[in-house]
Amino acid sequence: MDYIFVNKILKTPIYKQIAYSIISAIEKGDLIFNDKLPTEKEICQTFSISPTVVKMAYDFLISEGKIKRIKGKGTYVTNRSHYHSPLHQFYQVDRVFMDEIDHYDRQVILVDYIDDDYSAYRMLKLNKGEHCFVFIRIIKNHRNPVLLQKIYLPEKYFPKLESSDLENQRLFDLISKKQTQPIDHLHNTFSPINASSAEALLLNIEPDDAIYFVRTLLIGEKNQVLGYVTNYFPGEFTEFEVMVHAI
Amino acid sequence: MQSNLFVHITIDRRSTVDYNEQIKESIKALILDQTFYYKTLLPSPKMIAIHLNIDYKYAKLAYDQLIQERYIRKIEDDQYEVSYFELTNYFFDRNVAIYDAIIALGLTPSIKCVEKKVVTLSIDEQKYMGFNPKENSKYFYINRLYLGNMQPIMILENYLPMTIFPEIDQNFVGDEPLNAYLDQHYNIKAKLSHRTTQAVNLTSALAKYLNERKNAASICSTNRVYDQNQVLIDFGRSHTISSYYFQALISKEEISEYYISR
Repeated sequence: MDYIFVNKILKTPIYKQIAYSIISAIEKGDLIFNDKLPTEKEICQTFSISPTVVKMAYDFLISEGKIKRIKGKGTYVTNRSHYHSPLHQFYQVDRVFMDEIDHYDRQVILVDYIDDDYSAYRMLKLNKGEHCFVFIRIIKNHRNPVLLQKIYLPEKYFPKLESSDLENQRLFDLISKKQTQPIDHLHNTFSPINASSAEALLLNIEPDDAIYFVRTLLIGEKNQVLGYVTNYFPGEFTEFEVMVHAI
Repeated sequence: MQSNLFVHITIDRRSTVDYNEQIKESIKALILDQTFYYKTLLPSPKMIAIHLNIDYKYAKLAYDQLIQERYIRKIEDDQYEVSYFELTNYFFDRNVAIYDAIIALGLTPSIKCVEKKVVTLSIDEQKYMGFNPKENSKYFYINRLYLGNMQPIMILENYLPMTIFPEIDQNFVGDEPLNAYLDQHYNIKAKLSHRTTQAVNLTSALAKYLNERKNAASICSTNRVYDQNQVLIDFGRSHTISSYYFQALISKEEISEYYISR
C-alpha cells in the first residue's frame, strides 16, 4: 500500500489523491495487471478517512477502466498494455518495445535439443533422427507477457546455438547471424485458439481465454523450411492492423 | 479412400508421450500441412485402434481432443471429417468480398440475413465508428451470416449512413453481396478497408450463429470502409472461428528493411 500518498493539508480532494496515486503506480509499473489492491477498509484505517472517500476513489478508477471489483475476491488492477502492430510487422514485437528498455524483457524458459516432434517436424520437413533446437521464450512489457514463442531451429541450418543467443538478442538478429542459408520470406497463418491452462499461466490470462495464434515458417531461397515459430499473443491485449485495397 | 489415410497416422511405441497425444499431434500436423484438407473423411477411432494395434480408448480420446480444438467434427456415428480450413490470402492485400473468398475455398457460398433495421446512433457511437457525428443520424444496420456449403463461416454486422444510402432499408433484401449492391445502386465503390483484428471469446449469441460453443476463440475484425472519395461509407464488425484470412507472406525485401532500419 506504500504507493498511496495522502496529504490532508492540500486542497485536492482526497479521493483524487488516492486515485492518482494508484494510476501513477500503474504507470510506473509498480502495480501490474491482476495485482490485488488494498480493501477499502484497510485504506480507511491506514489514512483515517471515511469509507465514502475510498469508495469514490475506487469508483473513479473503475470508470476509467484501471481496476475492477470481483465479488467475494477483492479489487484488482485491470490496466494492461496492448500490443498494437501493423499486421505485416507482427513479428517485430521486440522492436516495438525497443525504446522502453527498462520495461521490456525476454525470458527463455526452455531449451531443448530434440530428434522428433510430430507437428514441428512435419512443418520443418525434417526426418525423425535429425536434430533440432527448441526454445520457449516469453517477451514481457512492464512484467506483463506480450508474446509466448516456441522456436524450432534445425541444427543443419543453425549449428551451435545456445540459450543465451535468444536471451541476449532479437530473433531476427540471431537468425541473420547464425543461419547458414539466407531467408527468402516468412509464411504466416493467423488462427484463434483457446488457451490451455499452461499457456494461460505463461501469458497471465485465464484458461480458455482467446489467443491470437500465429504459425510462422521461415522459408529459404530454395524453398526449404529453415525454421518454424509458433507465436501465442494474449487475444484481448493484441491488435493487428491492416489496410486492404479493392482490386 | 479412408484406408489410404492410415499410412500417414503413426505412433512411436518407445516414446514417453501418451498414444492419444501422439495420434492427436499426428493428425493435427497432417491437417495443418494440408495432407488432410477440409471435409476429408477420417478413419474412425475403431479403425485407427485396429490399424495401430492399440486400445480403442486412446484413439477415441485423440479424436475427442481434436474436436475440442476444432480440427475435426463428428458427422455421424463413428464418422469424422476435417473441419479446419483457412480463408486464404485473398483478403491480405485486396478488398475482396467474403463471398468470393468462400468460393476460393471450393465451397458454395450463401448469405443469411439475421437482422436488418434502421437505427439512430449516439454521438459517442458515431465518433467511435469514425463517422462525422450528428444528432439523430440514422444508419442502416444489417447483421448477416456467411455460409459455405451451408456451414457458418463468418458473421458480419454493418452500419451504413442513410444520408449516403437513402432508402437502402427498403430495397436491400439482405442475402445479396453488399459491395456489388452499393456499386450498382449508388455508384459507390468500396475502395479501401481499414481493419483491426483481435482474438476474442465468442458470446453465447454469436456462438449460436456460428454453431460453436460459448467462449470459443474467434477472430474479431473491425472494418472501416472508404469509397473512391475517401469517405467512410461503412463500419463493420465480423467474427469468424476460421483460421485467419491473412496468410501473410513477408518478403525478403521487408526482412532486409528490418535489418537495415533497426
